[in-house]
Amino acid sequence: MWMLLSGLLLGWSLGANHTANVFGTGVATGTVSYRAAILLTAVFVALGAFLEGPKCMSTVGALSRLTAMDAFHCALAAGIMMSLLTFLSFPGSASQAIVGAVIGAGILSGTADFSKLYKVVVCWVFTPFLSILASFTFYRLFRYVLDMIDASLTQRNLIYSVGTILIGCYGAYCLGANNVANVTGVYVGSGVLSPFAASLIGGFSIAIGVLTYSKKVMMTVGKGIAPLDPFSALVAVFAGAFTMHVFTQVGVPVSSSQAAVGAVVGVGIVGDIQTVSIRMLTKIVVGWVSAPAFAALLTCLFIKLDRMGGFAAFFEIFR
Amino acid sequence: MFLERLFSSGKKERDVTEKMRRHLELLCDVCSKFKTALENQDRNLMCDVIDLERQGDSIRRAVISLIYEGAFLPFLRPDLCKFVEVVDEVFDLLKDTATYCRSTELPEPLRDECVRVALLNFRMSEMLLSSFDAMLKNYDLREKALAIRIYEKKIDDMKFYIIDEAQKIPVSDFWSGKILSDLISGLTSISDVIEDASDHLQIINISMR
Repeated sequence: MWMLLSGLLLGWSLGANHTANVFGTGVATGTVSYRAAILLTAVFVALGAFLEGPKCMSTVGALSRLTAMDAFHCALAAGIMMSLLTFLSFPGSASQAIVGAVIGAGILSGTADFSKLYKVVVCWVFTPFLSILASFTFYRLFRYVLDMIDASLTQRNLIYSVGTILIGCYGAYCLGANNVANVTGVYVGSGVLSPFAASLIGGFSIAIGVLTYSKKVMMTVGKGIAPLDPFSALVAVFAGAFTMHVFTQVGVPVSSSQAAVGAVVGVGIVGDIQTVSIRMLTKIVVGWVSAPAFAALLTCLFIKLDRMGGFAAFFEIFR
Repeated sequence: MFLERLFSSGKKERDVTEKMRRHLELLCDVCSKFKTALENQDRNLMCDVIDLERQGDSIRRAVISLIYEGAFLPFLRPDLCKFVEVVDEVFDLLKDTATYCRSTELPEPLRDECVRVALLNFRMSEMLLSSFDAMLKNYDLREKALAIRIYEKKIDDMKFYIIDEAQKIPVSDFWSGKILSDLISGLTSISDVIEDASDHLQIINISMR
């Protein structure tokens, strides 16, 4: 069971890093308190992982033929990568880190299945575009509905504050449903865990990350990317969550950061506002490219070290 | 907090908007009283204007307290507080001008124009109240804001005429000249501050659309 430790680390760092995509703008604009945001995220992430998590589980593990030890190395490399990005306040991509790690392990063992990688990469490319389209559409739709209701200032205030919380909960649910496969999908592929157990353990570890270390990235995402008004924040979170939910049904774990940034860009296009700072976008893009590459390299390094008798000997101490 | 907000259906917010409306109604009342007092050279009525400014202060404090107790989204709070403070500046100007009016007799050649300025100030305060009501219902404020700007421009034009006329009036000593100058300056500045308040209403309106 000690081999699950790396998955728990990855889950923890994913929770710490990705809560920002759900409640970052809500917390930064003061609509939701940080405490309420992390509590709600933890509950709904676990619920999403439990109910819909198994849908994406097979995709990650199918990219290479992994042994139980390979799964441990992949999750460890991706976990270290994500923890580093969290520490540096980069909103990085766990999907790309774990896929990079699995492909790295596959290249080393000669079992990497690039035909399946194709589907994953296509989904990655489509994530920001679908997110832009979704936020553009939802912005127009919600605006139309709000104008139809003809809500007063106090009613709008109520709609925005309650809506941000409800949509945040939906976002957390979609994050858990889609991204739990990044955390424990490798264990399903290697036969260590059943999809159900993997969803349960993955959801729990993400929730712990949310509760313990998510403040820093949340503030970076919320305040750094876009000074959004409450309506735009609401639409952006919903569009990002909707995009992830769509890809959950397709069975591919995608980057919630890409979905979130795409949604913010979409809101910027329709609202004719400058929503994204170039500096912040550069930071994110560097994270996207570097995460899979470094995760693949780290995995190869860990496997090589292990073959020299490193990890197994270390964990023998705890037996 | 979420459930409290949901089930109270914005009670705190309604309290704030009711108090803000009361603040603006009081402003209309004070502007009207000031105009009547100036017209009739009624010093007792000027005392009422000064007293009512204190009421305005207490409403401002109540509104700001309610806002910081959690009414409205934090995103909106600074603009709402700023609006209330700008309206309170109008009360301060009215009080100062009323104090000058109590200590000096308005010269005959300036009286009619000054009364017209006071009347336009009153009309502007009514327009500001109407603008506030429209903002609460999320209506477009552009026409009302334009009307306020037109009133302000009119008062600006009258201000130069009053200053020209005031220069022809002989003054007995430095202090009587200073008080007359401050009175004219206060009276003609009220419209600027009401215009600022109207601009803030538009900011609130746009940011919550």
